[in-house]
Amino acid sequence: MTMTPRLRKFALTAHLISSVGWLGAVFVFLDLAVVGLTSQDAQTVRGAYLVMEPAARFVLIPLAFASLLTGLVQSLGTTWGLFRHYWVVFKLLINVFATTVLLMYMQTFRSMAGVAADPSTDLGVVRNASPSLHAVLALLLLLVAAVLGVYKPRGVTRYGWRKQHELRRVLVP
Amino acid sequence: MADPPAYPGTPRWVKAFGIIAIAVVLLFVVRLLTVGGEHARHTPSDASGGHTPPSSVTEGHKPLEGGNR
Repeated sequence: MTMTPRLRKFALTAHLISSVGWLGAVFVFLDLAVVGLTSQDAQTVRGAYLVMEPAARFVLIPLAFASLLTGLVQSLGTTWGLFRHYWVVFKLLINVFATTVLLMYMQTFRSMAGVAADPSTDLGVVRNASPSLHAVLALLLLLVAAVLGVYKPRGVTRYGWRKQHELRRVLVP
Repeated sequence: MADPPAYPGTPRWVKAFGIIAIAVVLLFVVRLLTVGGEHARHTPSDASGGHTPPSSVTEGHKPLEGGNR
């Protein structure tokens, strides 16, 4: 199935906006995580961990799924395909992996918010290095995905190679 | 009908990325199995159970009012 040029451009725009939006949101999360670790103000530290859970639920998760969905539409609706080129396969794997880890991490966000909401909890217990580590890893993954999407390095899979030659046979009998 | 040319093989960058990807996934799995339980330490019940914050922490800071979530 191949999309019309107008639809293809629309799908590409949607994919770019959601993917770059996701990347930007992770940058903000890294900032929140660093503020939570380093701020000297108790309310700022608690606020940083309190805001992470709703921000992840209403911003990170929707953007992650939007990026995945628009990426699938973009690849299946064009000649790139989903499993024909290695760079597309890697982008898909990165997206699925990052989204899965994010969904698993929601429980940790809830736990950290619960601890931060309790005023009797020691600030040392509220502070947690885990969000910074996860944000840095997520940033690395999403930056690699962005670079792959822009440079589109050469390399077709065996399946892509077979499909290319099947298509060539149809076009040049 | 001519046979299709032989598959040129997997590019080097794919092999390098593949090794890194496997390493990242393995690290993630190992971390999940070894440190995964650490988050439980941060549950509210554990944190408040019998724990008294040092005065240096609470001094000068108003506790958060209810409804901050």
